[in-house]
Amino acid sequence: MKNINISKKSIIVFIAIQVAIALLAFILFGLVPAHREAGKIKAVADLKSGGANAELPKETLNLIEAVRTGEHHEAYLRSTLKLSRTDSIALLIDLNDSLAFLSLKGVYLYQSKISKIKINKGLKKLPYFLRDSLYSGPLQVVEEISSIEKFPIVIKKAPKDTTEANQSGAAPTLPIQNDVFVMFSFSNNMVIEIDQEEDELAGTGRAYRHYKRQYHRWFMSESLSALFDPESSGYIYHITIELPREDARSIYRALPLKPFVVVRY
Amino acid sequence: MKKPDSKNFILVSLSVVLTIGLMFFYLSKSENLKEAAMSLYSFHDYPEALAGKDSVQLTKQISATEKRVFALQKKIENLWPYDPYLIINTTRNTFVLRTKRQIIREGICSTGSYILLDAGDGQQWVFKTPKGEHRILSKVVDPVWVKPDWAFIEESLPVPSINDPDRFEYGSLGDYALRLGDGYMIHGTLYQRFLGLPVTHGCVRLGDEDLKIVFKNLQIGSKVYIF
Repeated sequence: MKNINISKKSIIVFIAIQVAIALLAFILFGLVPAHREAGKIKAVADLKSGGANAELPKETLNLIEAVRTGEHHEAYLRSTLKLSRTDSIALLIDLNDSLAFLSLKGVYLYQSKISKIKINKGLKKLPYFLRDSLYSGPLQVVEEISSIEKFPIVIKKAPKDTTEANQSGAAPTLPIQNDVFVMFSFSNNMVIEIDQEEDELAGTGRAYRHYKRQYHRWFMSESLSALFDPESSGYIYHITIELPREDARSIYRALPLKPFVVVRY
Repeated sequence: MKKPDSKNFILVSLSVVLTIGLMFFYLSKSENLKEAAMSLYSFHDYPEALAGKDSVQLTKQISATEKRVFALQKKIENLWPYDPYLIINTTRNTFVLRTKRQIIREGICSTGSYILLDAGDGQQWVFKTPKGEHRILSKVVDPVWVKPDWAFIEESLPVPSINDPDRFEYGSLGDYALRLGDGYMIHGTLYQRFLGLPVTHGCVRLGDEDLKIVFKNLQIGSKVYIF
């Protein structure tokens, strides 16, 4: 074994490089998109307020909050009504009552209790008028990633003779039941994730790992493309809801491709 | 003199690879970096036009909004069928028979298996239950199953002509059938042990007692929602 001599200077240089890389990454992938988004929000906020910061009594602020809540509920119901004129099954997410619904022509087909809601910092901090415009109207899914197939097709070759037919007819061929993780992305920089509430993964957890890989790849490509696009901030508003696994599966499989989603906060 | 040069080259190469790798790692963690960066910002919430209103005006506005919300809720409720209707969940293989106000019966059923039967020569069938809103087109007591081609191909039997007696099977659909169109039906089954599993060729199979209640409550024109 040869002794490797590492000088103190080398160690300092190495650590300095690591820190510089971390800092550069934080600026490029964290601060730049967040700053761009914050700039956009502030620009709209200044327009709305005319630059003045309104100081109001608490009672008035509470009443204003009640007006806004009522108006948002009204907008949510209007969107539901709008979707009832279509032939497609839509997803309604009521964060206020922690419920997720499937709706077809205004009829609620299925209801599931949301056990956990996670909202990212940007969405939590978003001023009311921008939050409202982000949620307003039915949102159509642009891209989706999921750990399960939409149509669990099982291919079966026709039997060659009656003996083979009798053998294959004895037990039904059932689709594999993987873990359920779904991500819907929308054109307004918003992402809604539906995760199963069960922590224990079914089987080998392969479907979950595959989903996570796809999700990270999608997020990385969004971050990279935003770096070179001055119009896009690259900051993504993110909501995660957790549902029982079988409810999440029913909901995902019921929805058509590129479904409409309405969210009430 | 050559040795230190190659050593330096290796070190520089390693550093470059490490830097690229680290940048890639940080890029993969960009979601967390953005969250950390966003915590540095805060935004004021401006009440806009509402700020100019007094508490009486705001209270009036709240009550007006509440009225509109109530009217919209009523409008949505009016979309629900007044007569009994059936909802079928093809993923869980369950059904709910209900009216606008209450559940009449719920339980398990069997729906399409999602099997794609490939008979070669471009002949294929996908056994799935059609999703969407359907209506009961007709109701039949003691239905007879007119076996389609795939039923013979699945059993590796020769496909008979259209009106061949071999096509007609008695008793396999249970006591009742409710037709949804395009050959799809809600009917009974001899394979009660498979209820709750996706094993059918697209029809909806119910247990004997459930079928009886569904048959009694649904009329021609009643709605069936399948998802």
